[in-house]
Amino acid sequence: MAEPELDLGKKYDAVIIGSGAAGGMAAHVLTSHGLQVLLLEAGKKLNIEQELRSMEWPYDNAHRGGLPPGSHALNHNEYTIRRPPYGPGFEKSKSLYSYIGSTDYMKNIVVNERDNPYTGTNYAWVRARCLGGKTNIWGRLALRLSDYDFKAKDRDGYGENWPISYSDIAPYYDKVDLYLGITGVKENLPYLPDSLFQRPTKLNCAEVTLKQGIQKMGRVLTQYRAGVTTDGLKHNKYRSRCYGRGACSRKGGCDIHAAFDSPTGLIYPAMDTGNLTLRTNSVAREITVDPQTGKASGVHFTDSETMKDYTVRGKTVIVAASTLESARLLLLSKSRLYPKGLANSSGHVGHNFCEHIMGPHVAGQATDLVGKPPTLDDGRPGSFYLTRFRNLAEKHPKFIRGYGFEGGSGSGMFPPGTDSPGFGASFKEEIRRNQGSYISMGAFGEVLSRYENFVDLDPVVKDKWGIPALRFHYKFGDNEHHMAADMKETAQEMFEAAGFKIIFVSDRVLTEGWSIHELGTARMGDDPKTSVLNQFQQSHDVKNLFVVDGSAFVSASCQNPTWTIMALCWRSCDYLADQLAKNDL
Amino acid sequence: MSRKDPIDLKQDRRQWLKTSATVLGAAVLPLPGVSTVELSGGSQTAEGSAPRTLQAAGGEAKPGARFFTPAQHTLIEELSETIIPADSHSGGAKAAKVADFIEQTVRESTDDQQQALWREGLRLVESMSQHYHGRSFVDASTEEKIAVLKVLSDNEQMTELPEVRLFRELKRLTVHGYYTSKIGIHDELEYKGNRVLREFVGCGDPTPPTT
Repeated sequence: MAEPELDLGKKYDAVIIGSGAAGGMAAHVLTSHGLQVLLLEAGKKLNIEQELRSMEWPYDNAHRGGLPPGSHALNHNEYTIRRPPYGPGFEKSKSLYSYIGSTDYMKNIVVNERDNPYTGTNYAWVRARCLGGKTNIWGRLALRLSDYDFKAKDRDGYGENWPISYSDIAPYYDKVDLYLGITGVKENLPYLPDSLFQRPTKLNCAEVTLKQGIQKMGRVLTQYRAGVTTDGLKHNKYRSRCYGRGACSRKGGCDIHAAFDSPTGLIYPAMDTGNLTLRTNSVAREITVDPQTGKASGVHFTDSETMKDYTVRGKTVIVAASTLESARLLLLSKSRLYPKGLANSSGHVGHNFCEHIMGPHVAGQATDLVGKPPTLDDGRPGSFYLTRFRNLAEKHPKFIRGYGFEGGSGSGMFPPGTDSPGFGASFKEEIRRNQGSYISMGAFGEVLSRYENFVDLDPVVKDKWGIPALRFHYKFGDNEHHMAADMKETAQEMFEAAGFKIIFVSDRVLTEGWSIHELGTARMGDDPKTSVLNQFQQSHDVKNLFVVDGSAFVSASCQNPTWTIMALCWRSCDYLADQLAKNDL
Repeated sequence: MSRKDPIDLKQDRRQWLKTSATVLGAAVLPLPGVSTVELSGGSQTAEGSAPRTLQAAGGEAKPGARFFTPAQHTLIEELSETIIPADSHSGGAKAAKVADFIEQTVRESTDDQQQALWREGLRLVESMSQHYHGRSFVDASTEEKIAVLKVLSDNEQMTELPEVRLFRELKRLTVHGYYTSKIGIHDELEYKGNRVLREFVGCGDPTPPTT
């Protein structure tokens, strides 16, 4: 790979901030168009071969895969009883991580909460500062949105429609499918469009039972649609096809890169074009503005290690720092010209913050599988997805929008059921006999986009680099709580329909942020008064500024956002390249 | 324990706390001050510093020093084996060296309370064995060992009692140590994954033989 050095004297065609799904995709598309691109990443360039050890046996790990001493990952109880910032009270822990950082495989990927404080309402904010960001450890469920989502306002009157339709983005979903690889099964569902799928995974027996059990209710269970290449990608030498080998549930990254991650899927190939300059350890503090033209002129950043400041120049600036960090950066970029922050004449930057609510779930047992010989169930990049069924044909009396379930079942490396009471010979035997019979699923539901849910800058608290911290003003509302109650009921009724023995069912909602699907803080729209970006994720106010991550979402839908982030970003970057060629930026 | 009534843990513990104060002393089960036993292969120059609690307990904690005394280690072996015993299917916690895992976890812990709980809890469990069976846990029969832990397991909700908290912690670490060990993963659960497969395996497909 060619790795050109940063040239401070050069005016790049585009400076991209952030190297996750959005930043990686922007780098790929723009370098393919022959543009000279600089990619800034706040975190380290990890030695990814050492970090992602998906085939490591726990007994070969110094702490059986757990965190080393002196490290702590916040748990649900701590998120509930404490308020951000979460550093105080954990002085004994040298490293403090968000909940996802609870294993040896995650610890270098997620940030140390102590260096990166935030304030305000309770929020489980998961951040990954390293090349590739959260794509190194994402859950891989890769779903499309449909006009049920893009035009949801037409159906229930709430919120805003997206400035695009499914037909606008469909060709770009196809491009993402083909370039990165996705596994799944065609279902022909109007509300959950199919992708161009590679070889599908297979359902195990408990999953087949559930699928059949809910068919008569008109509900659909399908194989986990994973952003994983199961047939391989001839155009990408950095990624292998999925071997179906197991331990994928560890979610500590895929070291053969069958699962999409931004470095191997997008950034390394972009570097191979010779058009990409990468600079890691580069913490953006401000997008600079040319006071004459009002356009973005570049990015001011601090080297996270040396603390030295730099300013780089670009014809265009592309913000892809993740939904909340992107909003923070826009708000930080205040000037005489833009006193409320950059791209914020509408006052909507940081607002309309939405995501997915999760927590309600059911666990059960397919009793016919008890005592059967062990099966290979976790040799798959995911188990199953149970698609949305609420507010499609009929209207639910208590809430609008919908939810889907992600599920898992069968034998894994670590057995389920170890929290059952008792001990001794029978305890051991029960765990062994039951291990393959468990099945569970948890819901992901749309949180409505509300202006009142927002982030702004804390006037006092700053991060390790002296940059004002983000302050949260965010809470679930009645619609979400009604939805959560329904999630529990339907989860239970479907497990009963399948004939499973119900072991546990809960409507407990997890802390805001738990889904790691934060969205909406710089939404798109046709009206510059009520939106930040146009349909090409271009700022209404600043023509050469684009925000290409999840912050552009108008509503959250209930589908996992990564695939849509990348499809939208591809479309916007094609537009950007076209406009730049026409000298229109 | 031959009586048929369920044990009243809170009632009984008044008795065995007395027993422990009079009959037992440091001689039976030495309180862990500083063990002089070092990890095999460990040396004075080994890296890593000992937990502060060891130092606080008096004396110089040597790098690589064990947290538990040999007697306590043996007790933990027996306790963990009672949680997950060997059976005709596979080895138990002792064979899987769960006590070593517990030793490492507690030794490296930065949680003073966790370390204090192990010290206190082991002493109380030992007192229980003396009280109910007139001999130390290590020397008790399998049935007697089970009987002691059953008292704690049956009263799992009484988390205000340190011996109950110890039982929960013992079970948690035993389960974790065992099912992340070679014996737990391969012999006991016969885990089929973490190897290269040509095809995904679904319902009704034969599970490929382990190679």
